[in-house]
Amino acid sequence: MKQRILGLSKFVYLAVYLLIMVFPLYWIVITSLKPQKDIFSFPLKYWPERFTLDNYVHIFKISKFHIYIGNSLLVAITSAVVVLVIAILSAYVLARFKFRGHRQIMLAFFATQMLPGFVALAPLYLMMSSMNLINNRFSLVLMYTVILIPFSTIMLRGFFQRIPASLEEAAMIDGCSRWSALVRIIIPVMLPGIASTFIFAFVQNWNELFLAVMFIDNDALKTLPVAMNSFILKFDVDWGAMSAGAVLSIIPTILLFAFAQRFIVEGLTQGAEKG
Amino acid sequence: MIKRKKVLVSLLCAVVTVGLLAGCSGKNENSGNSGSGDKVTLRMIESLTSPKRTELIQAMVTKFEAANPNIKVEFISPPFDQADNKIRTMLGSDEQLDVLEVRDLTVAEFVNNGYVEPLNAYADKWKDFATVSAVSKSVGTVGDKLYFVPNGLYERQMFYRADWLKEAGLNPPTTWQELYETAKKLTDPAKNRFGFSFRGGAGSNGTTDAMILAFNGDKVNLDDSMFTKDGATIYSTPEAKAAMDLYLKLYKDASPPDSINWGFQEQVQAFTSGVTGILLQDPDVIQSLQEKMAEGTWATAPLVTGPTGKALFAAGGAGWGITSKSKHKEEAWKLVEFLSSPAENTAFSKDYGLIPIHTSATEDEFFKTGPYKTLIDMTDKPDTYVNYKPPFQYPGTGQWGQVTMESGQSLLLNKSNVDDTLKKWDAYWADQKTKLKK
Amino acid sequence: MRKQRVFILSGLIPALLLVLAFTYYPFVKGIVMAFQEYKLFDLRSVHFVGLDNFKAAFNDPKFIMALQNSGYWVFFSLILQFLFGLTLALLLKKQFRGRGVYQGFVFYSWALSGFLIGMIWKWMFNSQIGVINDILLHLGLIHERIGFLSDPKWAMISVIIANVWYGVAFFAIMLLAALQSVPSELYEAAVMDGASSFRKLWNVTLPYIMPTIIATTLLRAIWIFNDPTIIYGLTNGGPAGSTHILSSLMLDKIIYGGDYGAASAIGIIMIIILLFYTIFFLSVTKAEKAGDF
Repeated sequence: MKQRILGLSKFVYLAVYLLIMVFPLYWIVITSLKPQKDIFSFPLKYWPERFTLDNYVHIFKISKFHIYIGNSLLVAITSAVVVLVIAILSAYVLARFKFRGHRQIMLAFFATQMLPGFVALAPLYLMMSSMNLINNRFSLVLMYTVILIPFSTIMLRGFFQRIPASLEEAAMIDGCSRWSALVRIIIPVMLPGIASTFIFAFVQNWNELFLAVMFIDNDALKTLPVAMNSFILKFDVDWGAMSAGAVLSIIPTILLFAFAQRFIVEGLTQGAEKG
Repeated sequence: MIKRKKVLVSLLCAVVTVGLLAGCSGKNENSGNSGSGDKVTLRMIESLTSPKRTELIQAMVTKFEAANPNIKVEFISPPFDQADNKIRTMLGSDEQLDVLEVRDLTVAEFVNNGYVEPLNAYADKWKDFATVSAVSKSVGTVGDKLYFVPNGLYERQMFYRADWLKEAGLNPPTTWQELYETAKKLTDPAKNRFGFSFRGGAGSNGTTDAMILAFNGDKVNLDDSMFTKDGATIYSTPEAKAAMDLYLKLYKDASPPDSINWGFQEQVQAFTSGVTGILLQDPDVIQSLQEKMAEGTWATAPLVTGPTGKALFAAGGAGWGITSKSKHKEEAWKLVEFLSSPAENTAFSKDYGLIPIHTSATEDEFFKTGPYKTLIDMTDKPDTYVNYKPPFQYPGTGQWGQVTMESGQSLLLNKSNVDDTLKKWDAYWADQKTKLKK
Repeated sequence: MRKQRVFILSGLIPALLLVLAFTYYPFVKGIVMAFQEYKLFDLRSVHFVGLDNFKAAFNDPKFIMALQNSGYWVFFSLILQFLFGLTLALLLKKQFRGRGVYQGFVFYSWALSGFLIGMIWKWMFNSQIGVINDILLHLGLIHERIGFLSDPKWAMISVIIANVWYGVAFFAIMLLAALQSVPSELYEAAVMDGASSFRKLWNVTLPYIMPTIIATTLLRAIWIFNDPTIIYGLTNGGPAGSTHILSSLMLDKIIYGGDYGAASAIGIIMIIILLFYTIFFLSVTKAEKAGDF
């Protein structure tokens, strides 16, 4: 009996929680499918009387969302990959070697997490401007990479520490160089950890707004969050377009998440195991 | 599994390569103006961005490019909310920028920093300048120099729910006192209906200043509108106190409690969604109302007046200016002149819902009927609807909205009283005055 | 040995150089502005003013309020995110049919941007046409609409609700991973001793995942403290500055005021607070458990 009640309350808890998490998503999807006039009509409609794809047509025609999505994908993926390459190296070194300055470097990386980034916004703009990188997607790739290096290093270092050093030592005795041991032996074992770092990086890049507004001028180079920000108008928020844009911007992250969820949990589990 | 991994890896490699290449080519696009041939590239930025407006301006720019094959225009439209910050940052750097949208709110700052070029010399040679209305010229002028040519004007007027008023047997109010009474009668919280679309958030000074100016009436120095003819601030008079008392009642008895935090967005939204009955706004909301509300449910009326029978109103606006660092000022002016020509400006004003800047355009049938008519009517009665010059020459104007909003909200929340609030505002402007004299 | 040094250097240099050049260098430049009168409004009069910006901050009631709010914001967001995250992780530990799908639907919030979350909740919290008021009215839980975002009594609670909604997933994911790594032998031993499930949780599970809890909480607190985007989207600090936290106040000074001096001063104060927090947190929780940051 006690078991029953426990099981039931567990079920109720999970169900209520699911409802709370899913409802905003439902509401945004529903809003995006309502015609402009119905969005504001009163009383509220929990199921639209009329469905329309107008909002979606609108954001592709007037707002050229396909271009922004392309830019966002390009910038987010490129930067996430570059971050991985750089952070795998630094994380590996910091996990496997002790040397002078080790502690200071770790601290320097950790401390970046505390810096309120906006203080640096104006100096960064001037730097990018003098390097002729304003209005160039490369500036975003560069900055997103820089922002993510410290956290990715800390995270990946944890994964490396949990892989016994004997693994690559064995390989090195067999005549592998450290580089090839890293690439051939360690990285494949770390794949789940790398996948979760990649997803983390991708999500951060995919969502970044403020730098993208400042650094990019031309419409053809804009990213998705900037386009969404543009739906805040002088007089109102264009909720139809905003919700349609929101749905589109959520889809890739949800897909990625669903696809890689196994990796993430597996990766983190594996990471935590040897802790 | 392994195969899938390989595909994934090569896909990633491809994306990265393209990404790096795209980065490089983007750079070339940017600096393509450095003396290659005769083609000049102008860079132009807007401030009051909305996707629809951007489309209209882009269309004009394309037309301009077709007429001037040796000029290419790169049009930048940052999100409205961060646009002015972006423009400032660009102006403070070496990034090329030739034509920019200056707002009545930002012009003092840009002039102060020497960012914008006086346009008088260009305007004198412009054949259509003669028909630019005096108000438009005055909006774009600081001191005795013209710094931008407005792309349209805003003047506040009243929008009301014609059906609600008819149902309640009421006429549209003509004074602030009547507005309060009417709004109170329309208010029924149980039905989620409120009389007045109050705005206590960003831009709340639109209401407080309008009321205080109207109550002060003839006392106000029209050229220096934060001050009376005696040189005291308009916030120091007994009329100001009467105005603020009514303001407080208007919020408490006739407005949604939530409206303390409303900006224009919520204010307009509440009106279009049938929550509020009376809205004071600029003509660029007309389009939005036409889109979202059924015809016949709403109408326009002139601004309400103060106890002395006068309503003071100011024309606001944004427009095109030229940066002082531009290397192509002649070409930049050509673009400004084109955008401001009677044909282009009138078309833009109609499409976007502004008052056109050329006097010739008000003859257009479009502005003589429908919701725009009220504005023309107001212009025809200059004794009742008195035009004043907003205090844009004071650098503190930009901060003023913020100051009034915060102290105004404290007042509405009963955290301070009318006297203290007015004292604070009085001190603010007295301080601005001494700073300006320095 | 030489070879090893080359390896260490080549592994670290790209990361270090980039971080130094594009994080620390501009940041130091930004910090200098804290000691200057640096207003975009009047760039011709930029000059050093010593500690004036700090004095001005502490004399500004809005700053003091933001300081307080930052405390509430971090404390309640963190505690609630942690508790819901832990409960969820415990309930999801055992495999059941549809768990994967379930996780997908409750974890996705973590992948959204703060700005978007702000906008979504702003839409739902709206007191006139917002769905939350509508639901509460229908359920008869309230009789009058609540100004979730306009009533200062509610506004801070509302933004925290949105933040909790957003952040539970992060804790749940991290803790779930940690839970799944608890070796089953440990439980078996506890069962043999006849421990209740609560005892098991308290004596076996929690100690085992403590390092993850500490690391996650520490980092999460810093992020919550530093991230203004949800508040930017939701209330932009209103009404009457009653929902500003330090980071959103700083953003506000930059975007709408162009006052970089004041913004940088707030930034420095934030760093000092975080430093104290980190030292305090690590000493209380015994640093070695969190790994050597």
